[in-house]
Amino acid sequence: MKTIIQMTVNGELVESAVEPNRTLLQFLREDLDLTGTKHGCGLGDCGACTVILDGKPVNSCLVLAVQAHGREVLTIEGLAENGNLHPIQQAFVDKGAIQCGFCTPGMILSAKALLDENPKPSELEIRTAISGNLCRCTGYQKIVEAVQEAATVIDGTEVSS
Amino acid sequence: MKDFKVLNTRAPRIDGPAKAVGKAKYADDLTMPGALYAAILQSPLAHAKILNIDTSKARKLPGVKAVVTSKEAGLVRYGVSPARYDETLFAHEKVRYVGDEIAAVAAVDLATAQEAVELIKVDYEELPAVFDMFEAMKEGAPQIHDEFPGNMNAEVHQEFGDTDAALAQCDLVVDHTFLNKRQDAAFIEPHSCLAVFDLDGRLTLHTSTQVPHYVMRTVAMVLGIPVGNVRVVKPYVGGGFGPKCEATPLEMSAALLARTTGKPVKMNYTREQVFLHSRARHQFYAEMSLGVMKDGTMVALRNKAVLDGGAYTSFGIATVYYSGSLLGGPYKLKAMKYDGYRVYTNKPTCGAQRGHGGVAHRAAFEQLLDMTAEKLGIDPVEMRLKNIMATGDVTINELDMSSLGMKECVEAVRDGSDWKNKKGKLPKGKGIGMACGFFVSGAGYPIYRSDTYHSTVVIKVSEDGGVATVLTGSAEIGQGSDTTMAMIAAETLGIPLSHVRVVSGDTDLSVDLGAYSSRQTLMTGHATKEAAEQIRNAIASYLAEEMDCSPESISFSDGIVKFDGQPGNFQHIRVQYIKEHRGWTDPPSGEYLTFREAARLAYLKGGTLVGTGKYKPPRLGGSYKGAAVGTSPAYGCSAQVVEVSVDMETGEITVDNMTDAHDCGLAINRTLVEGQMQGSLSMGLGECLFEEVKFDSRGRVLNPSLGEYRIPTALDMPNVKSIIVESSEPHGPYGAKEVGEGAIMPTIPAILNAISDATGIRINELPVTSERLFMALKNKENA
Amino acid sequence: MLLPKFEYHEPSTLQDALNLLSELGGNAKVLAGGTDLLVRMKQKIDRPSHVISIARVPGLDAIIPRNGHGVTIGGAVSAGAISRHELLNDRFLPLALAAGRLGAPMIRNRATIGGNLVNARPAADLPPPCMVLNAEFKLKSASGEREVAAVEFFRGPGEADIEPNELLVSINVETPMPWTGGSYIKLGARKTLEISMVNVAALITLQSPDGVITDARIALGAVAPTPVRAYAAEELLIGEKPTDELFERAGMTGVGLCSPITDHRGTMEYRCMMIEVLVKRSLKQAVERAKSWKP
Repeated sequence: MKTIIQMTVNGELVESAVEPNRTLLQFLREDLDLTGTKHGCGLGDCGACTVILDGKPVNSCLVLAVQAHGREVLTIEGLAENGNLHPIQQAFVDKGAIQCGFCTPGMILSAKALLDENPKPSELEIRTAISGNLCRCTGYQKIVEAVQEAATVIDGTEVSS
Repeated sequence: MKDFKVLNTRAPRIDGPAKAVGKAKYADDLTMPGALYAAILQSPLAHAKILNIDTSKARKLPGVKAVVTSKEAGLVRYGVSPARYDETLFAHEKVRYVGDEIAAVAAVDLATAQEAVELIKVDYEELPAVFDMFEAMKEGAPQIHDEFPGNMNAEVHQEFGDTDAALAQCDLVVDHTFLNKRQDAAFIEPHSCLAVFDLDGRLTLHTSTQVPHYVMRTVAMVLGIPVGNVRVVKPYVGGGFGPKCEATPLEMSAALLARTTGKPVKMNYTREQVFLHSRARHQFYAEMSLGVMKDGTMVALRNKAVLDGGAYTSFGIATVYYSGSLLGGPYKLKAMKYDGYRVYTNKPTCGAQRGHGGVAHRAAFEQLLDMTAEKLGIDPVEMRLKNIMATGDVTINELDMSSLGMKECVEAVRDGSDWKNKKGKLPKGKGIGMACGFFVSGAGYPIYRSDTYHSTVVIKVSEDGGVATVLTGSAEIGQGSDTTMAMIAAETLGIPLSHVRVVSGDTDLSVDLGAYSSRQTLMTGHATKEAAEQIRNAIASYLAEEMDCSPESISFSDGIVKFDGQPGNFQHIRVQYIKEHRGWTDPPSGEYLTFREAARLAYLKGGTLVGTGKYKPPRLGGSYKGAAVGTSPAYGCSAQVVEVSVDMETGEITVDNMTDAHDCGLAINRTLVEGQMQGSLSMGLGECLFEEVKFDSRGRVLNPSLGEYRIPTALDMPNVKSIIVESSEPHGPYGAKEVGEGAIMPTIPAILNAISDATGIRINELPVTSERLFMALKNKENA
Repeated sequence: MLLPKFEYHEPSTLQDALNLLSELGGNAKVLAGGTDLLVRMKQKIDRPSHVISIARVPGLDAIIPRNGHGVTIGGAVSAGAISRHELLNDRFLPLALAAGRLGAPMIRNRATIGGNLVNARPAADLPPPCMVLNAEFKLKSASGEREVAAVEFFRGPGEADIEPNELLVSINVETPMPWTGGSYIKLGARKTLEISMVNVAALITLQSPDGVITDARIALGAVAPTPVRAYAAEELLIGEKPTDELFERAGMTGVGLCSPITDHRGTMEYRCMMIEVLVKRSLKQAVERAKSWKP
C-alpha cells in the first residue's frame, strides 16, 4: 500500500505516494528524475548512491523512501547555485578528480558533508571521509587534492565575505 | 621547445562540469515512454544438460510481454574472435557455468520481470564440472565444449632464436613460477542498456560499452539485422577497464526483446551479475626461466603460461598470445620461447582487462629479474639499465620500439624515489622495489580480419565559424578521450579549446574500433588531426583566393589568422561578417582576422565546412603464427618504485610510497595522463594485495559484491609521485602514445619486489593478503 | 536490487512499537539503521511481511550520561554518533573506537548499536567492546522488561537472547574505575569497509600509574560462533605488573579459548595466531592509556 511522504529535496518540498519497499535511491532517480545519484551495487558497498540526509552522508540504496519522510535530502543536483558550480564541484573539475564520473556525485557529497563539519581537514580526515566511496579510476589522489583545494577556496570565501 | 597552445597543458576535461553536477547521463539514467524492463534467467548449475525449458507460467504472469529462449533467439554463434565463435545468446543444449544465460523476460516493470524469471522451469541433468585449469587439462576431465578436446581452448607455441642452446651457454639460469587470481574490473557502473526499434526496423541500442562498433556488428550478426540498421550509442560510461569491450547477452537480449515486443526495453546487470558475466582478468600460471651472463646481460627467456579461461573464449586467444609477446621487451634478449595454453573451465568467462594478457607475466618476469640480480649481486636498477632497449630497437619478436623512453623512466624513478639511499638500507619490515613494463598503443589489427580503417573522424564547423564539432564513434569511458580529441582538434585548427565540441560514441557518426588496447589517443587522435588539417587547409585555400596570397603564408593559432605573421588587409571580410550578423553582440574584433571570420568565409564559398580524417596502421609485425598480437604503431613504457612497510607480526602490508614514470610520448593533457597513471597503480595495488574472485566447490562466486571483492579505498592507496616522460613518437599524432594500460604493468612486481626487500621472502601467488605473507614468514622461520 | 514487498509500520511511541512487536512477533523485523536488514532483504535472506521502523520512537537515539557514574546509550544510536561522542571517547574508548571502525562513514551514519548487537554476527564490531565494558542490555516488550549482561547475550551466529516481541532499547555501561584504559583492534584486509578477520577489545585497570593490574577484561570477535571473553587470559593478568612478557602470555592463553573457523576470509590457523598478536597489542595499548588516565 502506498504511503504519502513529504520531504525537502534540494531545498524544495516534495510530496509523493510511494510503496514502502521503494528505496530513497529509487525514489530520487525514478520518481523525481534526479539521476545524478548513481546505483552501483544496491548493498551499501560502493557509495555511488550517497546523498546527504539531515546533514549526514548516507547510502540512499539502504534508506527507504518512507524513512526520509519529513527529512531533508541533498543530492548532487542541489549543490550548484544559479548555474555556478559549488567550490567542491569546481575543484573536482579543475584538479582532474573526475574520470568516468560515476563515483563523482557521491564523492562530492561526502566531501561536502566533511567540509561542513570540518572546514580544515587533514589529508587523513579527507581520506577517511571518502573511504566509503569507491573509485576505480583515479587512485583517489586527485580527489583528495580537489577536496583540499575546495577547503581553501571555501575558507577564503568565508573570510572575505 | 614545444610550442603548443592547447596540447601539453592541464586543460580541465570538457565533460567535467556535466559530471560534477550530476547531469551527465549514463545508460541507466535513460528512460523512454512505454519502456519495458527485462531480466535474465541464468543457470544455477556449473555444468548441466538442459532437458527442457518450460516458460508457460512466466508467460501467463500478468505484466509479462515477452519471454525469449534459444528457440526465439536462434543459434547464431558469436564471440570476440571469429576463429572462436563459441557462444550463443542463450544456452540451448547445455549450460557451462553458474550464470550461463538461458532466457530473458520483458515485463511492465522490473519486479514483474524478475518474478517471471523465477517462474521459468528448467529441467537439468547435472554433469560433472571442472573448476581448476590444471584438472581441466587432465585426461578424463569433464569436457566443456565437444569441439575442443582436453578443454584446450587455444595453444600458442613460439620460439625466437634457439632458446635451449642459449640457456645452455648462460652463466646462470634462474627459474620462477607465479600464480595470480581471477580478477574483476570492478567498475562502479554495472552494465546497462536501452534498446528501441523504430518503425523502419532500425535498432538504436544505448549501452554502457567501450566498443560501440563491435557491439553493432555482433548484435547485427546475432539478431540477423543488416549492420546499417543497427545504431549503437554509448552515453557516458562509468568505467570499463576491458570487460565492457564486447557485446553482452544483456545488449542482445534487450535488442531481441525490443524487436519481439515493439517497445523500448531497458536492462541492467546487478552487481552480482557483473561478476557472473565477468570477462575480466584471467587467472594465469606462469613458469619461466631466465638465462644471464655473470655481468648481468640477459640472454634467453623460456616462458610458459596456463590461463584459466572459464566457459567461453571471449578475448582469450589474444590474451594467451599477449602473455608471451609482451615479454619481448623492454629488455634485449637473444632467444625467447613461449608456450601458452588457455583452458576451458566451468566458471564465468575471462576476457580482456587493463594490461591485457601482460600483467601477470610481467609480474612474474620482473620478480625473476630481481631474483637474478640478487644472485648476481647486481642492483636491480643497474641490471635493468644494462639490458634496456632504446628508441629504434626491435624486439626479438619483431615489435618496433619506434620511441622508447624506458631508460629515462628508470632513471626518473630511481632518482625520484631516492633509490640509492634506500635500497638495502631500510630497516627490517621496510622495503623498496622496482619494476618496468611496456604496452601497445593500439592493437595493430582489428579483432576481425579486415582492411577497415580503425578510426574515421568528421569535423564540422558551424555556419558562423564559431564552433568546430568533432564527430566520432570513439568511446569516452572516463579516460578522457573526448577531451583529448577536442585538444587535438583545437591545436590543429588553431582555436581555443572552448570552441570545440565533441560528439562521440555513436556508430552513426564515424567508424571507430573503440576504447581498448590503449588505441584512441594514437588512432582516433590521428584521424582527428587529419580531419582538422583538412578544414584548416580548406579555409587557407579559400582565404588565399580571397586575399590573393599563397595558402602557405596563412597561419592559424589562438583563434586568429595571420598572413606571413601579419594581420593582413582583411577589413572587407570583417565588414561582411558584421553586416551578416547585425544585432549580434559579439562582433569579431582585434587587429587580426579571427578564425570565426575565416571559417565563415569558407562556408560562404564552399558550403558547410567539413573535414574527414582516417587512420589505420601500416602492416606491422613478423610473419610467424600469431605475429599480429602485440603489434602496435607505438609502445608506451613505464617504471615504478614502491616502498612498503610490513607488519612482521601480522603480515599486514602498507604501501607507503609509489614513484611512477611513464613515457606517453607527448602528453596531450598532463592532468589526464597523471590520472591514468594513478588509476593504473591503484588497480595494480588492489590486484596485488586484495583482489580475488573466489568460488565455492560448485562453481558459484563466493564474493560477488564490492564488500567482499575488495578494491582499494582512499585509505589503502598512497599518493603517487607521478613523473611524465615524453619521448617523441613518430607514429603518434603530435608524438603522442598510450598511458592507460602500460602504467599498470610494473605495479604488481614493484610491490612484490618491495615486499621481498622488506622480508626476504618471495611471494609467488596473489593476492598477497596478510595471511599469505604471515604464513610465508612463519614457514621461513620454521625452516 | 529490489526489495520484496512488506507492510511498513512507523510507531511514534515506544509503547506502540512494543505493542506492534508483540502483535506481529515473528512476522516482523525491526528496522533501525537498515544497513543489515535491508541488505538481507534484498538478498532474499530475510523476507519479513512486516517491517517496524523505530526511527521515530523518541529517546532511542540518545546518549545520556548518568551523573558521572555511567552512560545509557539508546538502541537506535548510530555508530557514527558513538564514534564522535566526547564522553564515550573519554571514558568508554573501546566502544568509540569500534564504532569508528564499523563499515565506512555512510554505513556508520545509519547503522545502530542495537542492530549491530541484536544481529549477533560473530565478527561484529560492537559486541567485544560491550563485553569488556560489562554493558547491560535493556530489553523491553509489551509485557515487561529485563536486563541481560553483554557476556550472556550472544548465543550463536545470528542468535541472541532476545525474543521476537522484544526490543533492545538501551545499553547501560558503568564508568570504569580510575586508571583504566581501553583499546580496540580490528584485523581485516583493507584499512576500512571491512569485516573483521579477528577483532579484540581490551580494558585494563591499574592500581596506580605504576601499579599492578587490578582488573583486566578481554573480548574477542570472529574467533568463535559468538564473541567471547578471554577469562583465563584476564585472570593471568590480575595482580601482575604489566610487562610485554605478560601480555605475550595472555595472548597465548587467549588463543586457547577460541575455535575460529576457516572461511574464504581467513583460515583457522591464521586467526589463532592473530589472536595472540592482537591480544598482546590491545593490552599494551590499554595499559598505556590506563597510565595516562585523567580524572
